[in-house]
Amino acid sequence: MVHSGPDTWLLPDSLPVEGLLAALAAEFGFDTAPEYEATVVYADTFDWRLYQQGYLLHCHGNCWTLYHDDSSEVTVQQGGPELHAACFARDFPPGRLRELLAPVLGVRCLLPLAAVHLHGRQIRLLNRDEKTVARIVIETQEPVDGERRYRLVRLFGLRGYGNELETVRSILAAAGVAEPVSPLVGFEEGCRAKGRSPLDYSPKFNLELNGGETAREAMARIYQFLLETISRNMPGVLADYDPEFLHDLRVAIRRTRSGLSLVKRVLPAPVADRFGRVFGRLGALTGPTRDLDVYLLAREDCLGRLPPSLRPGLEDYFVGLSRNRQVEQKKLVRALRAKKNKAVLAAWQRALKRSDRQPADLAGLPVRDLAGRIILKRFKRVVRDGRVLDAVTPDAEVHRLRIQCKKLRYAMEFFGSLYPKQEMQGLIRHLKKLQDILGSFNDLSVQQEMLRQTLKSLPAGSRRNLDQAAALGGLLQSLFREQQELRVHFTEAFAQFGDQETSELFHELFGKRQEPA
Amino acid sequence: MSIIAVYNIKGGVGKTATSVNLAYLSARQHGKTLLLDMDPQGSASYYFRIRAPKKFGAKKLLKGGRHIEENIKGTDYPGLDMLPADFSYRNIDLALDECKKSHKRLSKVLAPLLEEYDRIILDCPPNLTLLSENIFYAADYILAPVIPTTLSLLSLEQLFAFLDEIGLERDKVVIFFSMVEKRKKMHAEMMQSLRDDNRVLRSVIPYSADIERMGIYRQPVAAALPASAATAAYESLWHEIQELLAI
Repeated sequence: MVHSGPDTWLLPDSLPVEGLLAALAAEFGFDTAPEYEATVVYADTFDWRLYQQGYLLHCHGNCWTLYHDDSSEVTVQQGGPELHAACFARDFPPGRLRELLAPVLGVRCLLPLAAVHLHGRQIRLLNRDEKTVARIVIETQEPVDGERRYRLVRLFGLRGYGNELETVRSILAAAGVAEPVSPLVGFEEGCRAKGRSPLDYSPKFNLELNGGETAREAMARIYQFLLETISRNMPGVLADYDPEFLHDLRVAIRRTRSGLSLVKRVLPAPVADRFGRVFGRLGALTGPTRDLDVYLLAREDCLGRLPPSLRPGLEDYFVGLSRNRQVEQKKLVRALRAKKNKAVLAAWQRALKRSDRQPADLAGLPVRDLAGRIILKRFKRVVRDGRVLDAVTPDAEVHRLRIQCKKLRYAMEFFGSLYPKQEMQGLIRHLKKLQDILGSFNDLSVQQEMLRQTLKSLPAGSRRNLDQAAALGGLLQSLFREQQELRVHFTEAFAQFGDQETSELFHELFGKRQEPA
Repeated sequence: MSIIAVYNIKGGVGKTATSVNLAYLSARQHGKTLLLDMDPQGSASYYFRIRAPKKFGAKKLLKGGRHIEENIKGTDYPGLDMLPADFSYRNIDLALDECKKSHKRLSKVLAPLLEEYDRIILDCPPNLTLLSENIFYAADYILAPVIPTTLSLLSLEQLFAFLDEIGLERDKVVIFFSMVEKRKKMHAEMMQSLRDDNRVLRSVIPYSADIERMGIYRQPVAAALPASAATAAYESLWHEIQELLAI
């Protein structure tokens, strides 16, 4: 998080900069750095990955500057790409900036946030030895799309010069500098002008329910929350900025579908059936592009599995995949832009808002009573399916267990806010461990299947195809071996999840005790 | 995290100029650095325009902990702090003598500072005393500037003899040539004679008016004259030391 420093104030309109400097001149000498003036564009990922880590990044043409916390000390300043639309860490030239950005951004791209006109100067305050004892920055921040100009004074102390810092503070106070302000006020205002505010999007499901709500009210809010996630990611999916937009969109669709199938008899049956089909269709529609994204993201990993001699063949394979992705993405955009699609989401919104003519029989039940029952049922199902798992269980059945785990996870996330936080987090952590293993297992299984299909359809004859076949064969072997190793782990992880202690905790939290007698 | 002592028994070999410039370069490379001025003359403190705080002296230094932390001063350069010297350091051996385990006192005092700083650089006074012994124990490396003259080389022999006597490895010592004058034949010959010693760094600091004038502009030469030959020489030296420290 970027903290607002305590030592930043608004400069009152009535106080000219020269007046302030005259007051300071009585005690200190000055060394003024040259004035700076630029219109900078702040950038971050859609989910504020830099801001979350306390970073602030802006660019001015192709000159990028990264700050950490509110130290106003430039962490790194370096040339980079022009920020016309999306840019990734890999678009930056090798160097410190890229090294810092890459792990924070991950697969996400930078998008322009707010443009702010900055104008100011830094002044070192000196003692009689002409030694710096404090620094002040006087800066005007004017968001390009905003209505106001902010004049700021920022004060930075120096270790071992506490008395001097106090003197500066009292001089500022006496001059009428008294209104503290966030040093990022221009940035925040600029974001607001663009309809954004820091940390306004997170892919996490974090909706607070209250126990007194009816099931109908609570589910409407849950679906509404997910629908917002869908609409917020839609522009990014259409523009194809980075793969996470589609991923988050799909997760929201899947959560909605799970909700419709897990929580029965809360929405009227015809509504639930209709939209179950609608979201099923949306899920299927977005699948092919996402599948290709997953392969393309695994490119480096796959290449690393092969000896160098086989790699060119695999490169060819990936060239083909990214061509397929272009085609699928076009299809996806066309389908999502279709009027029918917009209409159906609007209809969903209306269905959630209106009161049902014929309410379903559990609609009026307090959500708390419903939640425990649903979670416990899902838990029992996971335990039942998981028990029969062993080292030779067919992939398809492992996949089924994975889906059961997902349903349990979604149910726990939907209703998590109704239960003690610590216990919930503990249970989710256990479940997540199991899910991670099942997820990797399934990925390996799906990847192998795709490779087998490609091999089947690969015409014989050319040298090129021969190379590609050899590469795919090598990759199959490596994926298969890893999958075998995972089998051992998931029986272990499952044994932990299905043990007495976890089971008791589930029954205690979600069992009958929660329901009215 | 490392402690480098810039040391020579002889005075006037460029110890302070080296400490000040290396500390500046270390901080500029994003390593939080503390420069400890151990010389009662306080030349390093003078270069950074920092006066010793009134209630600070040898005894406070040896007490360590908050007595040191309260007296560390920020320099004009980001990431570089310094503990200024006090005139009372001239009697530091007397104060040391009163401490328990008197030859390892400085090590103990510096240990907690290594949590905050990536590098600590000690600018040492020119003599061979109990303080020197403390410094040798505390330092990971003893960086010795040497003017390529007979007397300077003799002082190195004395340093090695002393290390042997107190049972420390000679490996800690790293040597580089300082205040080298190209046109002096003896300098070239002396340097040649030590060329194969792997303790000797390749970088050489030339005799330079720019370095001498540091007392006038009171800044590291690398900050005041970034494009000068002297700056390039210190940069090359720092680069070599970094390789040595593997940082």
